[in-house]
Amino acid sequence: MKASKCGSSIALVIGLVAVILALPDMLPGQTAAAKSSGGEATSPTRWKVQVDQVDPGNLELAYSFQIAIYENLVEELKKTTRFQQVFRDGDLKASAVPNLLVLKTTVEKYTAGSETRRAVTTVSGATKLTVRNQLLTREGKVVLERTVNGDVRFFGSNLRATHNLARNVAKTIKQSSWSGSGQATATLTGQL
Amino acid sequence: MRVTHLLGFANASKNSTGTLSIQDDSLQFQRNGKPGTKVKIAFLRDVFLGAESKQVGGLPMTLGEAAAPFGGGRVVSLFAHKKYDTLTLGYVDADGGIHGAIFQLEKGQGEVMRNELMARGVTISSHHVQPAKASDAEASHESK
Repeated sequence: MKASKCGSSIALVIGLVAVILALPDMLPGQTAAAKSSGGEATSPTRWKVQVDQVDPGNLELAYSFQIAIYENLVEELKKTTRFQQVFRDGDLKASAVPNLLVLKTTVEKYTAGSETRRAVTTVSGATKLTVRNQLLTREGKVVLERTVNGDVRFFGSNLRATHNLARNVAKTIKQSSWSGSGQATATLTGQL
Repeated sequence: MRVTHLLGFANASKNSTGTLSIQDDSLQFQRNGKPGTKVKIAFLRDVFLGAESKQVGGLPMTLGEAAAPFGGGRVVSLFAHKKYDTLTLGYVDADGGIHGAIFQLEKGQGEVMRNELMARGVTISSHHVQPAKASDAEASHESK
Protein backbone atom coordinates (compact mmCIF):
# COMPACT_ATOMS: atom_id res chain seq x y z
CA MET A 1 0.00 0.00 0.00
CA LYS A 2 2.76 2.39 1.06
CA ALA A 3 4.83 1.39 -1.96
CA SER A 4 1.96 2.09 -4.37
CA LYS A 5 1.40 5.54 -2.79
CA CYS A 6 5.08 6.30 -3.16
CA GLY A 7 5.02 5.12 -6.76
CA SER A 8 2.03 7.26 -7.64
CA SER A 9 3.57 10.37 -6.11
CA ILE A 10 6.80 9.75 -8.04
CA ALA A 11 4.76 9.42 -11.21
CA LEU A 12 2.97 12.67 -10.37
CA VAL A 13 6.26 14.49 -9.86
CA ILE A 14 7.65 13.11 -13.12
CA GLY A 15 4.50 14.22 -14.91
CA LEU A 16 4.76 17.70 -13.46
CA VAL A 17 8.41 18.00 -14.45
CA ALA A 18 7.54 16.84 -17.97
CA VAL A 19 4.80 19.47 -18.22
CA ILE A 20 7.11 22.21 -16.92
CA LEU A 21 9.85 21.24 -19.37
CA ALA A 22 7.44 21.04 -22.28
CA LEU A 23 5.72 24.35 -21.52
CA PRO A 24 8.46 26.74 -22.68
CA ASP A 25 8.54 24.91 -26.02
CA MET A 26 4.77 25.02 -26.37
CA LEU A 27 4.31 28.72 -25.66
CA PRO A 28 6.52 30.08 -28.43
CA GLY A 29 4.87 27.65 -30.78
CA GLN A 30 1.45 29.03 -29.89
CA THR A 31 2.69 32.58 -30.29
CA ALA A 32 4.19 31.79 -33.65
CA ALA A 33 0.96 30.20 -34.82
CA ALA A 34 -1.02 33.20 -33.68
CA LYS A 35 1.42 35.52 -35.36
CA SER A 36 1.37 33.67 -38.64
CA SER A 37 -2.40 33.44 -38.77
CA GLY A 38 -2.67 37.13 -37.96
CA GLY A 39 -0.11 37.91 -40.58
CA GLU A 40 -1.94 36.00 -43.28
CA ALA A 41 -5.22 37.60 -42.45
CA THR A 42 -4.04 41.15 -42.36
CA SER A 43 -0.64 41.13 -44.10
CA PRO A 44 0.41 44.07 -41.97
CA THR A 45 3.80 44.42 -43.55
CA ARG A 46 2.22 45.21 -46.92
CA TRP A 47 1.03 48.53 -45.58
CA LYS A 48 2.93 51.74 -45.29
CA VAL A 49 1.78 54.66 -43.23
CA GLN A 50 2.16 58.38 -43.50
CA VAL A 51 1.85 60.29 -40.26
CA ASP A 52 0.14 63.63 -40.77
CA GLN A 53 0.83 66.63 -38.58
CA VAL A 54 -1.34 66.96 -35.52
CA ASP A 55 -4.51 68.97 -35.90
CA PRO A 56 -5.08 70.94 -32.68
CA GLY A 57 -8.76 71.43 -33.54
CA ASN A 58 -10.23 74.35 -31.65
CA LEU A 59 -7.92 73.92 -28.73
CA GLU A 60 -5.06 76.18 -27.81
CA LEU A 61 -2.45 73.49 -27.82
CA ALA A 62 1.13 74.71 -27.71
CA TYR A 63 3.16 74.08 -30.86
CA SER A 64 5.71 72.17 -28.80
CA PHE A 65 2.98 69.70 -27.82
CA GLN A 66 1.86 69.28 -31.42
CA ILE A 67 5.42 68.64 -32.51
CA ALA A 68 6.08 66.29 -29.61
CA ILE A 69 2.97 64.21 -30.40
CA TYR A 70 3.92 64.04 -34.08
CA GLU A 71 7.55 63.08 -33.45
CA ASN A 72 6.64 60.51 -30.81
CA LEU A 73 4.01 58.99 -33.12
CA VAL A 74 6.56 58.55 -35.91
CA GLU A 75 9.00 56.96 -33.48
CA GLU A 76 6.50 54.65 -31.80
CA LEU A 77 4.98 53.49 -35.09
CA LYS A 78 8.44 52.60 -36.35
CA LYS A 79 9.00 50.57 -33.19
CA THR A 80 5.85 48.48 -33.69
CA THR A 81 7.05 47.09 -37.06
CA ARG A 82 3.35 46.97 -37.96
CA PHE A 83 4.06 48.87 -41.15
CA GLN A 84 6.62 48.27 -43.83
CA GLN A 85 7.54 51.94 -43.85
CA VAL A 86 6.61 55.01 -41.86
CA PHE A 87 6.56 58.28 -43.80
CA ARG A 88 6.39 61.78 -42.47
CA ASP A 89 3.88 64.37 -43.54
CA GLY A 90 5.00 66.03 -46.77
CA ASP A 91 7.40 63.24 -47.76
CA LEU A 92 7.51 63.21 -51.56
CA LYS A 93 8.43 59.51 -51.64
CA ALA A 94 5.10 58.62 -50.05
CA SER A 95 3.10 59.83 -53.05
CA ALA A 96 4.32 57.00 -55.25
CA VAL A 97 4.10 54.00 -52.92
CA PRO A 98 1.17 51.56 -53.06
CA ASN A 99 -0.84 50.46 -50.01
CA LEU A 100 -0.37 53.71 -48.19
CA LEU A 101 -2.45 54.55 -45.16
CA VAL A 102 -2.58 58.04 -43.71
CA LEU A 103 -2.72 58.55 -39.96
CA LYS A 104 -4.63 61.67 -39.00
CA THR A 105 -4.58 62.90 -35.42
CA THR A 106 -7.01 65.47 -34.07
CA VAL A 107 -6.77 66.70 -30.51
CA GLU A 108 -10.14 66.53 -28.77
CA LYS A 109 -9.29 67.35 -25.17
CA TYR A 110 -6.30 68.86 -23.49
CA THR A 111 -5.78 69.58 -19.84
CA ALA A 112 -2.64 71.53 -19.15
CA GLY A 113 -1.08 70.22 -15.99
CA SER A 114 1.69 71.41 -13.75
CA GLU A 115 4.73 69.43 -12.76
CA THR A 116 5.06 71.42 -9.55
CA ARG A 117 1.42 70.89 -8.61
CA ARG A 118 1.84 67.17 -9.20
CA ALA A 119 4.89 67.10 -6.96
CA VAL A 120 3.24 69.10 -4.19
CA THR A 121 -0.26 67.62 -4.15
CA THR A 122 0.15 64.23 -5.90
CA VAL A 123 -3.56 64.14 -6.76
CA SER A 124 -3.86 67.23 -8.97
CA GLY A 125 -1.90 68.80 -11.79
CA ALA A 126 -2.12 65.93 -14.24
CA THR A 127 -1.51 66.73 -17.90
CA LYS A 128 -4.11 64.95 -20.03
CA LEU A 129 -4.49 64.56 -23.76
CA THR A 130 -7.26 62.93 -25.73
CA VAL A 131 -6.93 62.54 -29.49
CA ARG A 132 -8.98 61.01 -32.27
CA ASN A 133 -6.89 58.91 -34.60
CA GLN A 134 -8.00 57.92 -38.07
CA LEU A 135 -6.21 55.60 -40.44
CA LEU A 136 -7.36 56.41 -43.93
CA THR A 137 -6.61 55.08 -47.37
CA ARG A 138 -5.45 57.44 -50.05
CA GLU A 139 -9.04 57.66 -51.27
CA GLY A 140 -10.15 58.85 -47.86
CA LYS A 141 -11.78 55.64 -46.68
CA VAL A 142 -11.46 55.20 -42.93
CA VAL A 143 -10.06 51.79 -41.98
CA LEU A 144 -9.50 52.47 -38.30
CA GLU A 145 -10.82 55.12 -35.99
CA ARG A 146 -9.98 55.29 -32.33
CA THR A 147 -9.97 57.75 -29.47
CA VAL A 148 -6.84 57.46 -27.40
CA ASN A 149 -5.71 59.07 -24.15
CA GLY A 150 -2.32 59.95 -22.82
CA ASP A 151 -1.48 61.60 -19.55
CA VAL A 152 1.14 62.15 -16.92
CA ARG A 153 -0.16 61.97 -13.37
CA PHE A 154 2.75 61.67 -10.99
CA PHE A 155 6.33 61.91 -12.17
CA GLY A 156 7.70 63.50 -15.29
CA SER A 157 7.42 66.66 -17.31
CA ASN A 158 4.27 67.80 -19.08
CA LEU A 159 5.67 66.72 -22.44
CA ARG A 160 5.80 63.14 -21.18
CA ALA A 161 2.05 63.01 -21.79
CA THR A 162 2.76 63.16 -25.52
CA HIS A 163 5.09 60.17 -25.26
CA ASN A 164 2.51 58.16 -23.34
CA LEU A 165 -0.15 59.16 -25.85
CA ALA A 166 1.94 58.10 -28.84
CA ARG A 167 2.74 54.79 -27.18
CA ASN A 168 -0.98 54.16 -26.61
CA VAL A 169 -1.79 55.04 -30.22
CA ALA A 170 0.90 52.68 -31.51
CA LYS A 171 -0.35 49.94 -29.18
CA THR A 172 -3.92 50.42 -30.40
CA ILE A 173 -2.87 50.22 -34.02
CA LYS A 174 -0.66 47.21 -33.36
CA GLN A 175 -3.48 45.29 -31.73
CA SER A 176 -6.04 46.20 -34.36
CA SER A 177 -6.34 44.47 -37.68
CA TRP A 178 -7.80 45.26 -41.04
CA SER A 179 -8.08 43.20 -44.20
CA GLY A 180 -8.40 43.80 -47.89
CA SER A 181 -6.46 43.22 -51.07
CA GLY A 182 -6.20 46.88 -51.93
CA GLN A 183 -6.75 50.30 -50.54
CA ALA A 184 -10.29 50.65 -51.78
CA THR A 185 -11.43 47.38 -50.23
CA ALA A 186 -9.69 47.77 -46.94
CA THR A 187 -12.06 47.44 -44.01
CA LEU A 188 -11.63 47.24 -40.32
CA THR A 189 -12.24 43.76 -38.97
CA GLY A 190 -11.29 44.18 -35.38
CA GLN A 191 -10.09 46.69 -32.91
CA LEU A 192 -9.28 47.12 -29.28
CA MET B 1 24.63 78.24 -26.11
CA ARG B 2 24.05 75.35 -23.70
CA VAL B 3 20.79 73.55 -24.34
CA THR B 4 19.05 70.28 -23.60
CA HIS B 5 17.77 68.52 -26.66
CA LEU B 6 14.37 67.11 -25.74
CA LEU B 7 13.48 65.44 -29.01
CA GLY B 8 13.48 65.44 -32.78
CA PHE B 9 16.67 67.18 -33.94
CA ALA B 10 18.27 65.12 -36.72
CA ASN B 11 19.92 62.07 -35.14
CA ALA B 12 20.65 63.60 -31.75
CA SER B 13 19.61 61.50 -28.79
CA LYS B 14 16.73 62.55 -26.56
CA ASN B 15 17.32 64.50 -23.35
CA SER B 16 20.96 65.08 -24.19
CA THR B 17 22.80 68.22 -23.22
CA GLY B 18 25.05 70.04 -25.62
CA THR B 19 25.70 73.22 -27.52
CA LEU B 20 23.34 74.74 -30.06
CA SER B 21 25.05 77.07 -32.48
CA ILE B 22 24.81 78.49 -35.96
CA GLN B 23 27.65 77.29 -38.20
CA ASP B 24 27.69 78.92 -41.63
CA ASP B 25 24.37 77.97 -43.19
CA SER B 26 23.43 75.31 -40.63
CA LEU B 27 22.07 75.00 -37.14
CA GLN B 28 24.27 72.60 -35.21
CA PHE B 29 23.72 70.66 -32.03
CA GLN B 30 26.88 69.19 -30.57
CA ARG B 31 27.27 67.04 -27.50
CA ASN B 32 30.50 67.35 -25.56
CA GLY B 33 33.36 65.97 -27.62
CA LYS B 34 31.09 64.26 -30.12
CA PRO B 35 30.48 65.12 -33.76
CA GLY B 36 27.57 67.48 -34.15
CA THR B 37 24.29 67.00 -35.98
CA LYS B 38 23.25 69.72 -38.40
CA VAL B 39 20.15 71.02 -40.09
CA LYS B 40 20.42 73.61 -42.83
CA ILE B 41 18.83 76.89 -41.86
CA ALA B 42 17.17 77.01 -45.27
CA PHE B 43 15.21 73.90 -44.26
CA LEU B 44 13.80 75.51 -41.11
CA ARG B 45 10.14 76.40 -41.47
CA ASP B 46 9.03 77.46 -38.01
CA VAL B 47 10.58 78.80 -34.86
CA PHE B 48 8.46 78.96 -31.78
CA LEU B 49 9.32 80.08 -28.28
CA GLY B 50 7.61 78.75 -25.16
CA ALA B 51 8.15 78.63 -21.43
CA GLU B 52 8.18 75.73 -19.03
CA SER B 53 8.66 75.33 -15.34
CA LYS B 54 10.37 72.14 -14.32
CA GLN B 55 11.45 70.41 -11.16
CA VAL B 56 15.17 70.51 -10.57
CA GLY B 57 17.28 67.59 -9.43
CA GLY B 58 15.72 64.93 -11.62
CA LEU B 59 14.83 61.49 -10.34
CA PRO B 60 17.16 61.50 -7.28
CA MET B 61 15.53 64.69 -6.06
CA THR B 62 12.04 63.29 -6.70
CA LEU B 63 12.84 60.14 -4.74
CA GLY B 64 14.35 62.20 -1.94
CA GLU B 65 11.24 64.34 -1.75
CA ALA B 66 9.02 61.27 -1.67
CA ALA B 67 11.09 59.76 1.13
CA ALA B 68 11.17 62.89 3.28
CA PRO B 69 9.05 62.47 6.44
CA PHE B 70 6.01 64.54 7.44
CA GLY B 71 5.41 65.70 3.88
CA GLY B 72 8.62 67.69 3.91
CA GLY B 73 9.25 66.72 0.30
CA ARG B 74 6.16 68.57 -0.80
CA VAL B 75 7.44 71.77 0.75
CA VAL B 76 10.75 71.28 -1.01
CA SER B 77 8.85 70.73 -4.29
CA LEU B 78 7.26 74.14 -3.92
CA PHE B 79 10.64 75.80 -4.30
CA ALA B 80 12.66 73.23 -6.22
CA HIS B 81 11.62 74.28 -9.69
CA LYS B 82 13.14 76.43 -12.35
CA LYS B 83 11.82 78.27 -15.39
CA TYR B 84 13.16 77.43 -18.80
CA ASP B 85 12.61 78.57 -22.34
CA THR B 86 11.64 75.97 -24.89
CA LEU B 87 12.60 76.47 -28.51
CA THR B 88 10.51 74.46 -30.94
CA LEU B 89 11.71 74.18 -34.51
CA GLY B 90 9.85 72.88 -37.52
CA TYR B 91 11.99 71.82 -40.48
CA VAL B 92 11.87 69.65 -43.57
CA ASP B 93 14.27 66.97 -44.76
CA ALA B 94 15.60 66.49 -48.28
CA ASP B 95 12.46 64.55 -49.26
CA GLY B 96 10.12 67.21 -47.96
CA GLY B 97 9.17 65.27 -44.82
CA ILE B 98 8.25 67.47 -41.89
CA HIS B 99 10.28 67.20 -38.69
CA GLY B 100 10.06 68.95 -35.36
CA ALA B 101 12.64 69.49 -32.66
CA ILE B 102 12.37 70.83 -29.13
CA PHE B 103 15.20 72.33 -27.10
CA GLN B 104 15.21 73.48 -23.51
CA LEU B 105 17.28 76.57 -22.83
CA GLU B 106 18.10 78.81 -19.91
CA LYS B 107 15.48 81.51 -19.45
CA GLY B 108 16.08 84.40 -21.83
CA GLN B 109 18.31 82.48 -24.21
CA GLY B 110 15.46 81.20 -26.33
CA GLU B 111 14.67 84.67 -27.56
CA VAL B 112 18.32 85.27 -28.46
CA MET B 113 18.43 82.13 -30.58
CA ARG B 114 15.06 82.85 -32.17
CA ASN B 115 16.16 86.36 -33.12
CA GLU B 116 19.36 85.01 -34.61
CA LEU B 117 17.43 82.54 -36.71
CA MET B 118 14.90 85.15 -37.77
CA ALA B 119 17.76 87.42 -38.82
CA ARG B 120 18.85 84.64 -41.14
CA GLY B 121 15.49 84.48 -42.80
CA VAL B 122 13.57 81.88 -40.79
CA THR B 123 9.92 82.84 -40.49
CA ILE B 124 7.35 82.29 -37.78
CA SER B 125 4.07 80.87 -39.04
CA SER B 126 0.97 82.80 -38.15
CA HIS B 127 -0.91 79.65 -37.14
CA HIS B 128 1.40 79.17 -34.19
CA VAL B 129 0.58 82.47 -32.55
CA GLN B 130 -0.74 80.79 -29.42
CA PRO B 131 2.25 80.21 -27.19
CA ALA B 132 2.38 77.68 -24.37
CA LYS B 133 -0.33 79.59 -22.55
CA ALA B 134 -0.77 77.09 -19.79
CA SER B 135 2.94 76.81 -19.27
CA ASP B 136 3.29 80.56 -19.21
CA ALA B 137 0.46 80.80 -16.74
CA GLU B 138 2.04 78.10 -14.68
CA ALA B 139 5.39 79.84 -14.80
CA SER B 140 3.94 83.18 -13.78
CA HIS B 141 1.89 81.55 -11.03
CA GLU B 142 4.92 79.80 -9.68
CA SER B 143 7.03 82.92 -9.71
CA LYS B 144 4.67 84.62 -7.26
